[in-house]
Amino acid sequence: MGKHEIRLRRQRMNARGSERYRNYNAVLRQHGSEKRMKQVTRIFTFFLLIALLVLIFMVVTRWEKKQSVQPASKTNTVLHVT
Amino acid sequence: MTEDEIRKEEQIIERSKKDPRAFGELYEKYFDRIFNYLYRQTDDEDTAGDLCSQTFVNALNNIGRYEPRGFPFSAWLYKIAGNEVNKHYRKNKGKKVFSIEELKVRELIEQATEDWDEELVNRLIRYMNELPTDMIQVLELRFFEDKDFKEIAFILDMTESGAKMRTYRALDKLRANFNLKVKYDG
Repeated sequence: MGKHEIRLRRQRMNARGSERYRNYNAVLRQHGSEKRMKQVTRIFTFFLLIALLVLIFMVVTRWEKKQSVQPASKTNTVLHVT
Repeated sequence: MTEDEIRKEEQIIERSKKDPRAFGELYEKYFDRIFNYLYRQTDDEDTAGDLCSQTFVNALNNIGRYEPRGFPFSAWLYKIAGNEVNKHYRKNKGKKVFSIEELKVRELIEQATEDWDEELVNRLIRYMNELPTDMIQVLELRFFEDKDFKEIAFILDMTESGAKMRTYRALDKLRANFNLKVKYDG
């Protein structure tokens, strides 16, 4: 047996059968809401990316500051020992 | 479909990129065909209705990316519909169904042989159950949707020669097993 099943249908689907599913206004509404959702997601991702970059910048600046202060204190310690 | 009709469709598509309401004309034109294609692959009216709506929503969402390739816009819709069907079966983990109209099967058999009976139809269905699914997909598009090989290749994401090869192999098997005089028309 294959991965599919063939079924024989006695009647052909007529236009009336599919008519109750035909609704272009619903398609337009769904398209509108999906478009808005996409825009919101895009804006959110943009701000999230900016926030992440700012955070990385802050961490790097703090780390650099720490690095520049540390050698001075080290020299002091060495002076105390001698 | 004539070149002129294809050009007319392209104009509607260009308008639809700016105003989604213009797309309604293509929706009305292709709704029944896409619905029937989906119904044939799901055997459930409600599922076909849902997938059909989603197909047109997806088409509208991505209309900006549509590039004319020299064949009817419907080929693109069939491709989206096929993806929706695959998504549906992946989600529900069910066996893929091909619900084909008995009348259409009889028409096709009548073209191939003069003497046929109910038993031959049943044997044919049993035999088609054993064929690979991708072969059935090609046969469906070729004989139930009347698509040419160029369109089939685009819809199923394969080469034109690949689509021809699958069809011919399937027809060879049918000829060998059922003694049918199936024509090799491109």
